[in-house]
Amino acid sequence: MKNEAIVSEFYDKLESRGVTRRDFMKLCGAIAAAAGISQLTANEVAYAVEQSIIGASEGNLYPVIWMEGASCTGCTESFAQIDAPDAATVVLEMISLNYSETLGAGAGWSFEEAREQTIAAGNYIFVYEGAVLQGWEGQALRVANEPGRDHLAHTAEHANAVVALGSCAVNGGWMAAHPNPSEAMGVSQYLQKVGIDTTVINVPGCPANPEWLEAVLVDVLMLELKRLDLTKDNKPALIFGQTIHDNCQRRGHFENGEFVYEYGTEEEVKGYCLYPLGCRGPQTKANCGITRWNRRRSWCIESGAPCIGCTTANPKNSNENWVQTNTPFHKRHRMLRLGNFTFQPTTIALSVTGLLAAALVIHGFGMKLTGRMDGGADFEKVRKWDEKHPDRAIGAYVSPAALEDKAAKEGNEESKGGKA
Amino acid sequence: MTRSIIDPITRIEGHLRIEMEVTNGKVSEAWVSGGCFRGAELVVQDRTPEDAVHIVQRICGVCPVSHAQAATIAAEKSYGITIPNNARILRNILEGAQFLHSHILWFYNLAALDYVNPLNALTADVADAYALAQEAGTSINSDFTQLKKRLDAFAKNGQLSIFSGNWFDSEGGTAYTLPPELDLICTAHYIEALEMQAKSSEIAGLVGGKMPHVMTCKPGGIAFVPTQENLADLWALVNEVYDWVSTTMVPDTLALAPFYADALTWGKGCGRYAAWGVFEREDFEMNNRYLPAGVTDENLSVSDVVESKITEYMGHSWYKGEETYTSPYFVTEPEFTEYYQGDTDTVNDRYTWVKAPAYDGKCMETGGLARLLVAYQRKVPFVVEQIDGFLKALGAPGKVELAQSTLGRTALRQIETLYVATLMKEWVAELIEAIKGGDSEYFRAPQNDTGAGTGFWEAPRGALYHSEKVEKGKIKGYQIIIPSTWNLAPRDAQGVNGPMEQALLGVPVTDMEKPINALRTVHSFDPCTACAVHISEPATGKKFQTVTSPWGVK
Repeated sequence: MKNEAIVSEFYDKLESRGVTRRDFMKLCGAIAAAAGISQLTANEVAYAVEQSIIGASEGNLYPVIWMEGASCTGCTESFAQIDAPDAATVVLEMISLNYSETLGAGAGWSFEEAREQTIAAGNYIFVYEGAVLQGWEGQALRVANEPGRDHLAHTAEHANAVVALGSCAVNGGWMAAHPNPSEAMGVSQYLQKVGIDTTVINVPGCPANPEWLEAVLVDVLMLELKRLDLTKDNKPALIFGQTIHDNCQRRGHFENGEFVYEYGTEEEVKGYCLYPLGCRGPQTKANCGITRWNRRRSWCIESGAPCIGCTTANPKNSNENWVQTNTPFHKRHRMLRLGNFTFQPTTIALSVTGLLAAALVIHGFGMKLTGRMDGGADFEKVRKWDEKHPDRAIGAYVSPAALEDKAAKEGNEESKGGKA
Repeated sequence: MTRSIIDPITRIEGHLRIEMEVTNGKVSEAWVSGGCFRGAELVVQDRTPEDAVHIVQRICGVCPVSHAQAATIAAEKSYGITIPNNARILRNILEGAQFLHSHILWFYNLAALDYVNPLNALTADVADAYALAQEAGTSINSDFTQLKKRLDAFAKNGQLSIFSGNWFDSEGGTAYTLPPELDLICTAHYIEALEMQAKSSEIAGLVGGKMPHVMTCKPGGIAFVPTQENLADLWALVNEVYDWVSTTMVPDTLALAPFYADALTWGKGCGRYAAWGVFEREDFEMNNRYLPAGVTDENLSVSDVVESKITEYMGHSWYKGEETYTSPYFVTEPEFTEYYQGDTDTVNDRYTWVKAPAYDGKCMETGGLARLLVAYQRKVPFVVEQIDGFLKALGAPGKVELAQSTLGRTALRQIETLYVATLMKEWVAELIEAIKGGDSEYFRAPQNDTGAGTGFWEAPRGALYHSEKVEKGKIKGYQIIIPSTWNLAPRDAQGVNGPMEQALLGVPVTDMEKPINALRTVHSFDPCTACAVHISEPATGKKFQTVTSPWGVK
């Protein structure tokens, strides 16, 4: 331990006797237990020998430790954008954020000490942002001269619950995408591996929407943890129970068969559906269309960008991360031929995508065929863009045979693209 | 001689460790160690340039827009696309929104806690605080009485929350020297800044779909086509942020500076500066950007950027080999070895995940200070006027060299914030005029799928470089050099310290446990470590392989 960060004189003395800070806090717990008081008062025993640096161990605020693993700090950044209540209210009047690498006033050993004291006092929520890195025996992520994963395990073990915040924390996120150079994985997978059974609440997203975290914290604070309605993946059901497509503001245009085929075109101005540009809304579960982003200012699809499925995260399998599952983001889906209608090919070879696309095309164009469109929005018989690019159109207005002839004649025109 | 360590460094992005030898109260040796390896370049391999724009943004949640832009520019150079004018303006606005967000957050919510003690504001006299704010010419948007009540209630509860483990008692309680009234004013502005950084992000959210990690930046232009309502919102937002920035940030800096004037005398880095330039004009010339490109020598004389002068060395980092590579042909393979030699406190030759880039064989400092010094030397009128005015206000007219210090580096970023806030208003007006004039083009689709290109750009924390090679729409080699890689570089092949290490040398440290002046110096760089660590796919096309546990048994 002599290579540890500089510590207070008191701990120096302890350490010279071979007692680490962590041992010390355990020792205090043992003293408390021996004296017949709860383990939770270990911290108070510690105060007797050293002044607290987290202030009162109990008060009106729920203690929270927010640790960054292999993160980009995007989820903290995202959290800093909330407005109801705002971030200052949260950290001054709702929670006692005793450890946050981005917002905390402390640094170095005293900062780590604040975490130890919070753990010793117990009864805290642990928010973990970023992936768990296994590379080089965990040394791919180093904090306070120790592997990050050890800090995770130690802090999770004593927490009331762990919130795995963001897709990286849920299952490694983009870092886990091939070739997964740092051997990234999610929190629940890692904790299971090391035998820690603290409940993990998974809140995916890249980043996670701050309203989602706030919803979880408020549920925990006000409704008590046991009332949280979670999916089988331990994701909050209210947030991750439905698809983007279910609540999309452009959904009406999908039903109408009105699509955007290229950025910045007339169709985009009309706010048509982004499905042909590779929108992952139909496969992706999250309520972005309801919560929206940045204080409800906008969200991906409103701004003209197709969903890239950033909440896709199977906590049990880091290979099923959102980048591996959804790239290439901007390709159309699998070529399907249903009656007179064709769908463009996708390069992701997931059978589920094909089935889903089939369901969608039946639904979307089926509505048109069955006449359910009557009285709805104006529907062009042949859309201008489709007319100009018959080989790339989703709705086919000529017979498939004629289309194939045309495509054959024009050779490899498709791959060159073109301006609408 | 004593050892002082700060690990983790907080209020930055990512994981950073600083270890220092202190001799006679001053730092005599320093090791800066970046603590996280992720490997974004390997993940984008064999994916499309369009995908890469989304993936590389995730390198950093504070400056995702800059990564998106650099990646997009690299793809556009590869494809040979010049983007439409509306896309140019909107992407300037998108980048500007992120600069405002990042600088406001950095100054008030990250760096300021090295100078401001909100708990000391508990003893402030409210009437005196109002008088002081007026005297200092800074904005009064908050009710100081209410704020003080709020702080009282917080203190009464007893839990320290984000002030847990604070350093306010550093150096025997003499390190924080503001009067309680100024602490109260700055605490009010800390809370207002949380609002303003979020407002700035709203601009990025409006144009980019969401922030962090914007969605609309696409090789060829932008996916966002503004409605009239969007334009009205943009106009209102940029004005709101400008009004706050212009009445608050520079006056606060001038009010704080006299209490920490000694920080003007230490913290100079390597004294050479690199800026790749940011915010495009219609001619898309790097040297003519609103903040222009350029590199300076020790005498601050500027020359143009030459790509082939950029090299990387990894002999002191956790990668295989000791070669020096020339851009964009880097080869690196990660290989962790121990930080300390055995059971001693001797730091090993290899001590960080960050590599050591160099320009013309020498390390360079990058960031707000570098951009402004280059802009000053290239005579950008706004920058010249503001820096001259600032130095005059500090009582040191014409002494640009004073800027090369911990306080100078900290202060100049507020000037840049004001410049960007001013430009944002211009750009929104320019966009409205262009649309009124009938320009409705936002995107030009790629006409080919093979090529190579480099995106030179700036993140809020400095010069950003993305370079890629594309074959049939797939990435076959991707290189990134990030601002903090320059600033946090370890020793080079000759054993010369990196820029931040040099800045730490000579910094006064009397409190070994809470070396506050070292922390101030580190924060003045606005470091971003998650960004800083990067590796490269072997240019030979050889596949990357995970090294099997070189760490071995501890």
